[in-house]
Amino acid sequence: MSQIFPIDTVGHDSDVVFDNIGMTFGTKTGVTQAVANVSGVIPEGKFVSVIGPSGCGKSTLLDMVGGLLKPTKGTVSINGETVTGPRRDTAMVFQEDSTLHWRTVLDNVAFGLEVKGVPKADRYESARRMIELVGLSGFEDHRPGQLSGGMKQRVAIARALAMEPRVLLMDEPFGALDQQTRQFIGRELLRIWEKTRNRVLFITHDIQEAVYLSDEVWVMSARPSVVKEVVTIDLPRPRPEGTHTLPRFRELEDHLWELVKVEAEKTLGPGARLA
Amino acid sequence: MKVIEKSPTVQERRKAALVPRASLVRWAIIVAIVAVLEFTTRTGMVSQSLMVPPSEILIRLAEIVPTDRFGQDVARTLTTILVSFTIGLVLGVPLGIFLWRVPAAGRILEPFIVTGYAMPTLLFYPVLLAVMGLNAGPIIVIAASMSLIPIALTTMVALNAIKPILHKLANSVSASPRQYYLKVLFPAATPLIFPGVKLGFIYAVIGTVAMEFILASQGVGFRAGFYYRELNTADMWAYIAVVIVLSVLVNGVLTWLEKRIRRDML
Ligand SMILES: Nc1ncnc2c1ncn2[C@@H]1O[C@H](COP(=O)(O)OP(=O)(O)O)[C@@H](O)[C@H]1O
Ligand SMILES: [Mg+2]
Repeated sequence: MSQIFPIDTVGHDSDVVFDNIGMTFGTKTGVTQAVANVSGVIPEGKFVSVIGPSGCGKSTLLDMVGGLLKPTKGTVSINGETVTGPRRDTAMVFQEDSTLHWRTVLDNVAFGLEVKGVPKADRYESARRMIELVGLSGFEDHRPGQLSGGMKQRVAIARALAMEPRVLLMDEPFGALDQQTRQFIGRELLRIWEKTRNRVLFITHDIQEAVYLSDEVWVMSARPSVVKEVVTIDLPRPRPEGTHTLPRFRELEDHLWELVKVEAEKTLGPGARLA
Repeated sequence: MKVIEKSPTVQERRKAALVPRASLVRWAIIVAIVAVLEFTTRTGMVSQSLMVPPSEILIRLAEIVPTDRFGQDVARTLTTILVSFTIGLVLGVPLGIFLWRVPAAGRILEPFIVTGYAMPTLLFYPVLLAVMGLNAGPIIVIAASMSLIPIALTTMVALNAIKPILHKLANSVSASPRQYYLKVLFPAATPLIFPGVKLGFIYAVIGTVAMEFILASQGVGFRAGFYYRELNTADMWAYIAVVIVLSVLVNGVLTWLEKRIRRDML
């Protein structure tokens, strides 16, 4: 059901490859080793989730793939090219609201393409398609201030999708939403992803969400972090609504919970809950 | 997913219902003040050497307003205000950006700027008059430096208040520095900078009129000061009334602009 991740895995050229990456922050009070050593591959067309205790370096890992942070050790490569900065074929969705409040939904979704220099007619056409895909049709001319938290995150997802990224990076995108909304948007995301099948690196602290969405779940250890275990989610796709109640789903969930509990206790002491 | 459109709350509706009544009350207060002034000056409770009845001010205004000299005074004062404010804006915004971009400079310079804010800048007026002569120059220097301070400070504060996530977003889509400034930073900061810009304009008005009052060769403030020194109370108040009307008009325009910006940007 799970395997210890082979550290010497070599990916194909089209994959996202982590090659012994580490990140150490220099701070006023000294140094913080956030990520100790992560190696791994996100193969073409796979949805990979990362879970781990709060502060273990999940966001740091994602930012290194997105080119926002340069690893202090090792390299990340995409399609055989080392990541040295933000790439045009990756797109990010953040936990916080990142909509531009002075722009309409349409202009928010088109923002990435606008920056890329895509002509207006073309970028609006893509943006309208993505708005429909995330279920926001009819809201093109609304501003973020008129939308709920869940709708704003859909705007952010649509903006990322409109850029047609080959790698989609999502940092707890549903973290600020209530349970019902996050389950609903999770299903929507899966429905959309079934069509695009780009590689996804999805950070979450919700185990159920990770199992439901992913092909693989990487469990990170407490800081300084390594990938402790890679759990393959062998549930069939597409995954309809009742998937959560399958015995296999429960098994995977319990297994991940055990792994994560050990790490959470390391950081927070016995009896601690996952952040 | 349930589509939640924000509808006005009970409180918001109540507030909206209050608006016409509030302006009615405001007008009633103005009328009451004018009536009290008229009564107290006519009955001699207030000496006519301090204040003349508002009706007389109106009569004087009707005589003054059509004259060429009045037009020249207003034109002079308005251009001085506009030039001062424009200089304040053109220097203040980049200064604010600089203070934000270079936090160390911000920390070093902030006390100077805040002191400049608190200092009666008009004390430099005689020196400037001696150097530059009796023209609009010294007034513009004072009014512009009064105007740029709130503009620079709010620009810095507004830029500091921008959520780091917007920086992260711009970075993640590989925005160029130019795109970052034009498409993210400025639009995000504008609603916050605007109150400072408004204050900057008000400072330009105060600076201009006050310096004209002290010493000048032309302008609405100069004329008010001139009649003050001549003990011509009626004409002095006529010009003060002009300044009040100008201020109310300018403030109205700025408030309208601010509302528009807020509506379009928030
Ligand atoms: N820019 C930074 N400077 C210093 N320390 C940082 C920085 N970013 C993150 N850290 C530290 O690195 C660790 C991992 O952070 P993060 O990746 O945000 O964790 P997670 O997303 O798993 O909660 C934390 O201890 C955090 O304090
Ligand atoms: Mg995080």
